[in-house]
Amino acid sequence: MANKQGSFGDRFAEITVVLVTLIALTLGGMYKSSVENASSPFEALGVSLAAPKGWIQTSVRGNDIFRATDFNSQGFSTTYNVQKIAVASDATALDIADAVLLDRAQALDAFKVLDQSEVNDGVGRDAYLIHYVYVESNPDATHASIPSIVRGADFIYLKGGYAYVVSFQADDKNYNLDLDRFYRFLESIQF
Amino acid sequence: MSELQPIHERKHIWRDGILLIVALCIFVWLVYALDNSLKPTFNSTTLALTGVLLALVPAFIWLAFFYIQDSVEPEPKGYVFAVFLLGGLLAAAIGIPVVENLFRVSHWLYTNTLSAILGGILVVGFTQEFLKYAAVRYSIYNSAEYDEPTDGVTYATAAGLGYATMLNINFVISNGGVDLGAGMIRMAVVALAHASFSGITGYFLGRAKFESESIWWMPLGISLAAIFNGIFNWLLGIVTKPTISLSGASDNAWLGLVFAAAVALATTAAVLALTRRNIQALKTRQGE
Repeated sequence: MANKQGSFGDRFAEITVVLVTLIALTLGGMYKSSVENASSPFEALGVSLAAPKGWIQTSVRGNDIFRATDFNSQGFSTTYNVQKIAVASDATALDIADAVLLDRAQALDAFKVLDQSEVNDGVGRDAYLIHYVYVESNPDATHASIPSIVRGADFIYLKGGYAYVVSFQADDKNYNLDLDRFYRFLESIQF
Repeated sequence: MSELQPIHERKHIWRDGILLIVALCIFVWLVYALDNSLKPTFNSTTLALTGVLLALVPAFIWLAFFYIQDSVEPEPKGYVFAVFLLGGLLAAAIGIPVVENLFRVSHWLYTNTLSAILGGILVVGFTQEFLKYAAVRYSIYNSAEYDEPTDGVTYATAAGLGYATMLNINFVISNGGVDLGAGMIRMAVVALAHASFSGITGYFLGRAKFESESIWWMPLGISLAAIFNGIFNWLLGIVTKPTISLSGASDNAWLGLVFAAAVALATTAAVLALTRRNIQALKTRQGE
């Protein structure tokens, strides 16, 4: 049979296939970002934020004012939590951090603090940041999965007699991959 | 340019395709029946090993038919096997990491219907179909052994089955083994689907090599295969959506197999009809 390999048209067609695939993947990446960054406004007790769309907002307890979980994430479901705690006027961020750490150490298995420091968040606000890790024995609703290592970050803000604790918890495998999205969430919070 | 040779139609390729569908359905039923009647027990190692062996079955069945029937119209079996391996290697080295780690489709693909269709086509479909195309285009395509339009279908199917086998092995390993019955159904569905979409790419590759097609011909082929891939997976999700009733939950895995077999038969028939028409046209032109 006639073989027309190596012609200029063939080479051009080959490049076109690569280009079309790259365009499709770029459009796919843009669409992925639009789905992941979609949000809906949330406001409660003087705190407003952009709640991730498609996440499940679970019932809040105690000082919680917002709690949302991404049940599509593998292993431990990535979770955002915002707390508003009334504090004494002379309380420092370090005092609040100690209280938060004590609370976490009592509630979480194999809880370890990785590091803590004063930071400036993406929109120029002073915060106290704690990085920690713990083991979640029931990472999903089935109660039939292997325990997960969960990494977390608490951003503690002090303003007007209140401490605001914004928490991010994700499976160790997803933590770094989910971090950018959390920073966008963090930047959306107004109090 | 090589010499003008008479055009053959490797008829056994179509028989292989149809036999693969039928034999795979029979095999799945057998595994399911044996699993239900014998209720074998495995430890984690033997469960994973059994899963990996079962993942190889669809490709083994197709290759077996190919080897038996190809004695009449021989195709270099080493090349067919090499393209099969290349399809699997590209899946492991590029396809699975791109889809699962770079695009992390499990996090957003199933958010809603639009994301399932668009993401399924643009990310999953294009990644998989391009790599299967590449397995043929950058290996056997330029060889003198690729000398018939139907060779495109043969080699693309081999690449597709290699890709599917690696997806199935990855599924078994990442889950630490699979339930024999439901796992075998899933593997058969994945193999049938990838063999079908590869058939589409193979048809376009076959014509691209031997006819003067426009530069949009091959991108059109990849795009069609990617669209079929995305829509198939979305429909499969609907067909196999678990049903919950008062008598308990049913996972509808068998419906998925019936759906995949129907799609595979329809695709094989369509590719067969198109290729035959194309070969007739080429023969007529050669006669002139």
